Amino acid sequence: MSELSDHSDTSFAPGDEGEHDVGARVLGYVIGLALALLLTATSFFVAGTTLVWQPSIPVALIVLAIAQMGVHLVFFLHITTGPDNTNNVLALAFGLFIVFLVVGGSVWIMSHLNQNMPPMDQIMRMQ
Amino acid sequence: MLGKLTWSAIPFDQPIPLVAGGVVIVALLAVLIWVVVKGHLPYLWREWITSVDHKRIGVMYVLLASVMFLRGGSDAILMRIQQAIAYQSQGYLPPEHYNQIFSAHGTIMIFFVAMPFVIGLMNLVVPLQLGVRDVAFPTLNSVGFWLTATGALLVNLSLVIGEFARTGWLAFPPLSGLVYSPGVGVDYYAWSLQISGVGTLVAGINLVTTVLKLRTRGMNYLRMPMFCWTTLASSLLMVAAFPILTATLAMLLLDRYLGFHFFTNEAGGNVMIFMNLIWAWGHPEVYILVLPAFGIFSEVVSTFSGKPLFGYRSMVLATMAICVISFMVWLHHFFTMGAGPDVNAIFGIASMIIAIPTGVKIYNWLFTMYGGRIRFTTPMLWSVGFMVTFIIGGLTGVLVAVPPADFILHNSMFLVAHFHNVIIGGVLFGAFAGFTYWFPKAFGFRLDERWGKAAFWCTFIGFYVTFIPLYAAGMLGMTRRMQHYDVAVWRPWMIVAVIGMAILTMAVVCQVVQLVVSIRNRESLRDRTGDPWDGRSLEWATSSPPPVFNFAISPDVRGEDAYWEMKAKARQQQFAHAQPEYQDIEMPRNSPTGFVCAFFASIMGFALIWHIWWMVILGLIGAWATFVVFAWRDHDEYVIPAADVARIDRANIEERRNLVSLAGSV
Repeated sequence: MSELSDHSDTSFAPGDEGEHDVGARVLGYVIGLALALLLTATSFFVAGTTLVWQPSIPVALIVLAIAQMGVHLVFFLHITTGPDNTNNVLALAFGLFIVFLVVGGSVWIMSHLNQNMPPMDQIMRMQ
Repeated sequence: MLGKLTWSAIPFDQPIPLVAGGVVIVALLAVLIWVVVKGHLPYLWREWITSVDHKRIGVMYVLLASVMFLRGGSDAILMRIQQAIAYQSQGYLPPEHYNQIFSAHGTIMIFFVAMPFVIGLMNLVVPLQLGVRDVAFPTLNSVGFWLTATGALLVNLSLVIGEFARTGWLAFPPLSGLVYSPGVGVDYYAWSLQISGVGTLVAGINLVTTVLKLRTRGMNYLRMPMFCWTTLASSLLMVAAFPILTATLAMLLLDRYLGFHFFTNEAGGNVMIFMNLIWAWGHPEVYILVLPAFGIFSEVVSTFSGKPLFGYRSMVLATMAICVISFMVWLHHFFTMGAGPDVNAIFGIASMIIAIPTGVKIYNWLFTMYGGRIRFTTPMLWSVGFMVTFIIGGLTGVLVAVPPADFILHNSMFLVAHFHNVIIGGVLFGAFAGFTYWFPKAFGFRLDERWGKAAFWCTFIGFYVTFIPLYAAGMLGMTRRMQHYDVAVWRPWMIVAVIGMAILTMAVVCQVVQLVVSIRNRESLRDRTGDPWDGRSLEWATSSPPPVFNFAISPDVRGEDAYWEMKAKARQQQFAHAQPEYQDIEMPRNSPTGFVCAFFASIMGFALIWHIWWMVILGLIGAWATFVVFAWRDHDEYVIPAADVARIDRANIEERRNLVSLAGSV
C-alpha cells in the first residue's frame, strides 16, 4: 500500500514525523512536559493568590488553560505550520469551528429561551 | 439474576407484534437451517462475516438497510391504515402500540435504513473511485458494520421481548424520562443508538481518512469524482455530529439509570437543552444522509448524459458550503420553543441560505443534462424523479424555515409531508439510483431494466399520492402522530394517502421481483467488461465484480473523469501500450474481530436494557478482550503473487479489447 500514499501533498499523521533523531524528539517531549507543568503550577498558584487584582483571576485562568492546550498541541500532538501538516491543521480548525458553533450557539439559544415569557417578578406579582 | 427480565416481557396478549415477531423468527431460523444444511456456513464465515474487504462490507451494509427497509415500511403501512380507519373510532391499533410503531418507524428508517444504505454505497464505491485497494482501516470498517447490525438487532428484539419507545424517534424528555417512561422502551432505543452510533463514527473516521490519505497517483483533490467529495463532506459531518448524539443520549441514560437530573423538571434539570443538543446533531444528520445522495446523482447524471459534470468546481464549493452551514441551522427544528425574534430570525435566515448551494447543485445537474445525449436508464429515471420531487420538498422546507409560518405548521402533517418529501425524494431515490447504478459493479450483472422502471414509476406516483394529501391535511390543522381523530375534513385525505401507500407497496414488490428476475437471468445480463454504462470514473476501469485487490496496477490519473480519458487514449492507441509489469500485492487478512466485538456488544446492550449487571460485565470484558487479541496480532497481511495478478488482469483486458474492437467495427 505504501506506494499509494506518495502524494505530492503528503502530510503526516500526528506523531509520525519522519527523519528526526531520537535525541531531538526526547528533548521536544521534555520541553513540552516542563512547560505543561509550569502552566499547571501557575494556575494553582494564581487561583489561591492575593498578589494580583482579584477579578483578573478567572481571566488569567482561562488564558493559562488556552496556553496549556497550545503546549499540548505543539509538543505532544505535533501540530506545526509546515506544509506537511495541512490536513492536521485543517482538521483542528474544523473541530474548533464546530465546537465554537455548537457551544456558542447553545449558550446563546438557551439564554434566549424565556424571551417570550413575562419577566419572573411580574409573574410573582400576579400571583 | 435476570434483572427486570421476566416472562411478562413477552407480549402474549398482543397478537400483532407476537405474530410479526414469530414470522420473523421462523423465517430467520429457516434461513439459518438452510445455510447450515447446505454447508454454506464456512463459506459465509470466511468470505463475508469475517471479511475486511470494503466491497463485501459495503454489500452487507446495503443488505442490512434493505432488510430494515422492509421492517420500517411495514410500520408505515400499519400507521397509514390506522389513520385511514381511526376516524371517530379507535382504529385497530391501541394507542400504546401505535406510539411504538411511529417511534420505531422513524428510528429504523433514519438509523438503520438511510444510514447503512449510504454508508454501504460509500464503502463499496469510494476506494474504487479513488483508485486504491482498500479503505484506510479495513478491520475497523468491519467493526463499524457489525456494531450497526447490533443496533438493528436490538431494535428488532424489542418487538418480541419487552417494548419499544413510545416517545417519537428523538425521545424528547420529560416524556422519555424515567417518570413518564418507566418501561424498557426508551432503553432499547437509547442503547441501540449508542452502539450503532459508535459504528457510524468509526465508519466516518475511516472514510475521511481514506479520502484524505489514500488516493492513487495523480488523483488530487480537484480530480476526485463528485461522489468522493460528498463522501468527504458527509463523513466529516459524521465525525463532528455523532459525538453530540452520543453525549446527549448518555446524559439521558444517566438520568434514567443513575438518578441524574440533566433533563428532569426538578432539581435544576432543563428539558430544553435536550432539544437543543439533539437537533445540533439532528440537522447535520439530514445532510449526512442527503450529501452522498447528491454525489450519486452527480455520477449518474454525468454518465447517462455522456458529458462531464457541469460546473465541477462550483459543485465542490456548494458541497463544502452545505457541510459547514448545516451546523448553523439547528434551531429551526424548535422555533416554537420560546426563543425571541432575534434568535429565530438568524436561524431562519441561515436555513434559507442553505437552499442556495442546494439550488446551485440542481442547476448544475440540469446543465449537465442540457445538450447531452441522455439515456433514460433506471438510475437516470431516479435522478430526474429526484430533481422534481426534491425541489418541491425544498420549497416547502424554505416555507417552514420562515419562523411565523413555522409557528402555524410546526408539528403538523405538513411537516411530516415536508421531511418525507426530502428524505424519500432525496435520500431514498438516491439510494435506489446508486443501487441500480453500481449493482453490476458489485455482482457482475445488471439489474432488469423493465422491473426497475416499474419500481421507479410506482415509487414516484405512490410518493405523490401518499404525501401530497398529508400536506393538505396539515394545512387543515391535522397534527402529526394522531392515533385517532374526529375531524371529518381530514378523513378523505387519509384515505387517499392509504391508496398511495398501496402503490408504494407495489413499488417494493417490484424491487423484490426485479432482484429475483435479474438473478435468474444473470447470464444474459452479465457485465463482462466491467464498464456496463460507458462510465467516466475509475470504478469502471476494473472488472465486475472487481478482484479483491481492485486494481492490478494502480491507475495513474491525468485529469477529471479519469477513466473516460483512459478509454479515449486506449481507443486511439488500439491498446498498443506495453505489457504492464505486475507486482506482488499485499492485502489485509480477514478478521473475525468485528463480528466477535459486535456479539459481545449485543450481549452488553441487551443486559443493560434489562439491568442484568453480571451480563453487562461479561459483554464488556468480552469486547475488550477481542480488541486486545486483535491489537496483539502477529501478521495482518497476505501476499497475492504477481503471477495471479497478471492472470486475473489479462482476462479482463482481453474482454475490454474485444469490446473496443467490436465497437470499432460497427
